[in-house]
Amino acid sequence: MSLNIRLVVNGRRHTAKINPATSLLDFLRDTLGYKGVKICCNTGECGACTILFNGKPVNSCVVLAADAAGAEIVTVEGLAEGDRLHPVQQAFIDTGAVQCGYCTPGFIISVKALLDRTKNPTAEEIEEAVSGNICRCTGYTKIVDAIQIAAERLQARS
Amino acid sequence: MDYFEPKTIREAVSLLARYGEKAKVIAGGTDVLVDMKFKEEPSCLVNIKRIPALSYIREDDGFLRVGTLTPIREIETSSLVRQKLPLLWEAAHQFASLQIRNTATIGGNVCRASPSGEMLAPLLVLEASAVARFSRGEKKLPFGELFLGPGQTLLGSKGLLTEIEIALPPERSGSVYLKHAVRGAMDIAMVGVAVLLTPDAGGKKAKDVRIGLGAVAPTPIRAKSAEKALRGKAMARAVVEEAARRAAADAKPITDHRASAEYRRWIVEALTRKGLAQAWKAATGKEVDR
Amino acid sequence: MAKAEYSVLGTSIPRMGGVERVAGAGIYGIDLVLPDAVRGGVLRSQYAHATIKSIDTSEAESLPGVYAVVTAEDAPDVKYGRTSNDRYMLARGKVRYMGDPVAAVAADSEATLKKALKKIKVEYEPLPVVLDAEAAMKADAPALHEEIPLPANLPKDTRVKNVCGYSTLHVGDPDRAMAEADLVVEETYETKMVHPQYLEPRIAATRHEADGRLTVWVNAQAPFGVRSEVSKLLKIPISGIRVLVTEIGGGFGGKATGTHSSAGLEPICALLAIKAKKPVMMVLDKAEETVSTTVRAPVKVWIQTGVNKDGTIVARKAKLIFDAGAYSGFGALAGSRCTQMLAGWYRTPNAHVDGYIVYTNKQVCGPVRGPGGPQAAFPVESHMDSIAAKLGMDPVEFRLKNIPKPGERIAGVPKLRDVSLGETIRVAAEKIGWGKVKLEKNQGVGIATGSWIEGSGPGGGAVVKINEDGTAAVLIGKVDYGTAPRFGIPMIVAEELGIPTDDVTVLNVDTDASPWDAGTVGSRSTLVAGNAARLAAIDARNQLLRMAAKQLEASSDDLEIKDRQIRVKGTPVKALALAAVATAAHNEIGEVIGRGYFDSKAVEAEEKEKGSSPPFTSHAAIVEVDPDTGNVKILKYVAVHDVGFVIHPQAVEGQIEGATAMSIGQALCEQVLFDDKGKTLNPTFVDYLMPTWNMIPKIETVLIKGYPGAGPYGTKGAGEIGCVPPPAAIANAICNAVGVRLTSLPLSPENVLRAIREQKGVEP
Ligand SMILES: Cc1cc2nc3c(=O)[nH]c(=O)nc-3n(C[C@H](O)[C@H](O)[C@H](O)COP(=O)(O)OP(=O)(O)OC[C@H]3O[C@@H](n4cnc5c(N)ncnc54)[C@H](O)[C@@H]3O)c2cc1C
Ligand code: FES
Ligand code: FES
Repeated sequence: MSLNIRLVVNGRRHTAKINPATSLLDFLRDTLGYKGVKICCNTGECGACTILFNGKPVNSCVVLAADAAGAEIVTVEGLAEGDRLHPVQQAFIDTGAVQCGYCTPGFIISVKALLDRTKNPTAEEIEEAVSGNICRCTGYTKIVDAIQIAAERLQARS
Repeated sequence: MDYFEPKTIREAVSLLARYGEKAKVIAGGTDVLVDMKFKEEPSCLVNIKRIPALSYIREDDGFLRVGTLTPIREIETSSLVRQKLPLLWEAAHQFASLQIRNTATIGGNVCRASPSGEMLAPLLVLEASAVARFSRGEKKLPFGELFLGPGQTLLGSKGLLTEIEIALPPERSGSVYLKHAVRGAMDIAMVGVAVLLTPDAGGKKAKDVRIGLGAVAPTPIRAKSAEKALRGKAMARAVVEEAARRAAADAKPITDHRASAEYRRWIVEALTRKGLAQAWKAATGKEVDR
Repeated sequence: MAKAEYSVLGTSIPRMGGVERVAGAGIYGIDLVLPDAVRGGVLRSQYAHATIKSIDTSEAESLPGVYAVVTAEDAPDVKYGRTSNDRYMLARGKVRYMGDPVAAVAADSEATLKKALKKIKVEYEPLPVVLDAEAAMKADAPALHEEIPLPANLPKDTRVKNVCGYSTLHVGDPDRAMAEADLVVEETYETKMVHPQYLEPRIAATRHEADGRLTVWVNAQAPFGVRSEVSKLLKIPISGIRVLVTEIGGGFGGKATGTHSSAGLEPICALLAIKAKKPVMMVLDKAEETVSTTVRAPVKVWIQTGVNKDGTIVARKAKLIFDAGAYSGFGALAGSRCTQMLAGWYRTPNAHVDGYIVYTNKQVCGPVRGPGGPQAAFPVESHMDSIAAKLGMDPVEFRLKNIPKPGERIAGVPKLRDVSLGETIRVAAEKIGWGKVKLEKNQGVGIATGSWIEGSGPGGGAVVKINEDGTAAVLIGKVDYGTAPRFGIPMIVAEELGIPTDDVTVLNVDTDASPWDAGTVGSRSTLVAGNAARLAAIDARNQLLRMAAKQLEASSDDLEIKDRQIRVKGTPVKALALAAVATAAHNEIGEVIGRGYFDSKAVEAEEKEKGSSPPFTSHAAIVEVDPDTGNVKILKYVAVHDVGFVIHPQAVEGQIEGATAMSIGQALCEQVLFDDKGKTLNPTFVDYLMPTWNMIPKIETVLIKGYPGAGPYGTKGAGEIGCVPPPAAIANAICNAVGVRLTSLPLSPENVLRAIREQKGVEP
């Protein structure tokens, strides 16, 4: 059985025919080619596949692609404006928070969502925002720096 | 695999009646999708997310009503819940990651009936009811009777949960939910303890005490003998400690790869003791007497 | 050397390749899309130990959409292994753990693949299973590899079984010294199996090209190892294989080489591609990785130390049982390193250590980050605190009392040149507030030190090509997964060529074009590729200067390159654009190509003469223990490291912090668990608990300066040593907080609470 869905990803409209058992992760990666959505645990535990679903961060591996019909999705590919990286992306580079970089897209989405909610996050709010994102390379320490710098730059901007 | 997106409760219920055991309801999908990947695809998937108006939190004449499709995150961020049902807020706040809380629904958590399900022990002590629809009509199933075993509820394969109905606890009651897991929120509870405590008018004795235990039996349970040990008693340290010991005895934990049964009992005892003290403080502003 | 001497070294430039990573480009192995490729997958053993009676693939083969099914019958009868050839790419006759590959399928989709794997019928005859290495050594244990002889170096009359490696160390007269010591302390310790759990799943993809060659895409750390293994196992000449490395989402040694580190994916993928006559791509899901790929081996350690009343160590004896898993894998090497390290890195004039590396029916030991290091340091450094306690001495003072001196030896290092151990201890103690910080009830402070190997090992080369615009392309054999190739290496080349780092491109490994390399393992990226790239850049620079010398009418010795200009030193007006010289070179010699290599033997010889300066470290932690639940919270963590000269501070700190966090995971929660049949109980991330954000404190890294190492400009390896001290540092802090000595990892809430209750004498 198949299902037709329409959705918007990073501002672009897509129409597709899907198998209703498909996860949103597989659909975004394999059908639409958004490889910035990373696959790792496939069980909702690591956050590598985090995307914004109508503005909210979710693990795309535990969401049905069918549920995205009519939704607006933002992946990490949708953050930069032309060649200009989003301040969160730039902060990850500047602080050395990108080692292998595999967790990075998921982290960036979680942090962007956090800074969309609050300009000046507390340590608890940061912990809440990224506890669902595992990084195996950095020990999180440089990511703490990245979040701080991103927040400062975004505040300075507004 | 057959796949349906019913637009009404009635349509969903008739699909369940038609497909029976073969059908699988999917709400947020955080449990179902993982099962589909690692276990088996159901022969029929009934996605209830397109049924309108099943996501809400409403106060209604002494009750709080929560629609089955309400995401855990909505519960966590609802000022109404925070104010009227801090116990539920606490459980929602300690539930997995933000990403999962945005997706997982309260109804899914209830129907999954996992012994460690975060919302279950709190709803049990709140003596909530599950409002369910069957093809024959609506039923109100009290939480005390709802759970039959891991993954098993009175809903069976044909019932659709539509709402959780929670009678608001007395204003002067105090409550707390304590979760014990190696990694904190982003981990399945080894033990969960929910305490709801209502002091008497003098603020000395426990008028009503309810203790719910998660992850220590095939279903979430009430620690009945512990509750009994406290009811009507002055809240003194020795009484609390005795109740905590009883709670540990009330628990029927198993040993698995997360923890031994013995350890789970120790934790039940420790968290019950702590939970009673915190709930008492929340209710009366006082520490438990020495 | 002071930082001011350099223009880029010592600064933290943005990581090369950072932009594509934050932008979500599809650059990793898992993102690979090979036109026309079909999906490959592996059928793994359902028994931890069994003979294979028969395999029937007919039903699977007849499924529509199945392109190939392969078993051992389809492959040459060739075994592989690193220290012992004890393994087939696909099981032949016997399986030895529940991850052993038995057959493989190539199919048109994931769904067909799953179906086909289920349709392969394997008849097994179960054999007794042995999961504990100590039990496996006993006479009544089942034999895992009847055909493999016991190690030749085992002392005569040793009655053991299933031992695949033996390592020993003997200095002085430990028996006598122990007998004469004022105090002898003896303990046993245990560590558990952990999995590296890099986030990007392993892949392999193969295409049989029209010219008969094989192209293999891998996200592996040792592409040349993959090439030689595919060649050996499929009997294809090396020249017939090209291995291309994709970008890699973490490795930590777990993605070291394909086969001898036991994932074995690439030869299977190649076999499928040949039989299917189609390109094949294979992906391991995370649960499959946990049960089938390589791990950090569990160990049991008996350790005994004799000390004098004043706190001087006089003798050490130890015995190690190192659980290699079902095949020798990297076991003998990691086990041997662990054996050496059990003698400690303090002055120990008399020592004897025996290390037995043993087969069991479990996942195979790989070169996981600091192989053998944490397994040795947990016992050694916990034991140091136990001794200090018995002596009534402060743990810091006791350690400082036993620091070796330059010229002395420690295990694995025949002659020390300079010794930063004491300084790291003093700095760590100061930063954590040793003896000063006010600790609340149930809080405690702990310290632990570590060391790591340097120097000897395979060599490696580098090529630096100068483009006509004066930019440089660098070819090395090391791969990038957040390590030196795209942090330090471009800086070294830029520094030597006098160009901005943006003008340097470091290419990913293509075995047809890149210099051979043993693999991105052992903290050797900067040592090997850094030294080689530096010499290659200098070689290129010298060629450029020689060519410019004629035009500038100066001796090439008087020339320098600065800001993309070749100029006469001190007379900057006499200058030529680097681009012009590089372009002009085309008419003379073609492009300028610099070549350099790391000469392992020369470094060894120099270290033999002058001694070596291994990296040392001290970590200190403050923890709080919840006496009700056993939960341990790390409140403060300091990691002090001597890594010699620092090329890219941010990158070095990042390596240390990452290694530390990984090891904190092993200390507090990580563990691969088994049932009594050898089935892994926690294969997915739901149950295999890695530390999340809330468990890891902000790690305060301090880099100690002034002790140059064997790397370029005096650098030392930094990628692994951070893994060494954490379990002991935390265990020592727990002991300080609640007075219990935990001798087995993980220091999980249950284990901690159990120990507290036992100490209090509470009835369990
Ligand atoms: C990474 C991760 C972490 C998690 N952490 C936690 C945690 O900390 N605490 C916790 O309690 N849980 C946790 N879970 C489990 C899961 O998220 C919860 O059980 C969640 O509430 C399920 O809700 P859902 O909407 O996603 O349910 P679904 O997966 O859609 O459904 C769950 C079950 O309920 C049934 N169902 C759903 N709605 C109805 C209905 N209206 N009527 C009848 N049957 C219905 C489904 O058929 C299914 O059996 C975690 C899951 C993941 C993937
Ligand atoms: S891949 Fe989705 S959370 Fe790990
Ligand atoms: S940078 Fe590699 S996992 Fe985070």
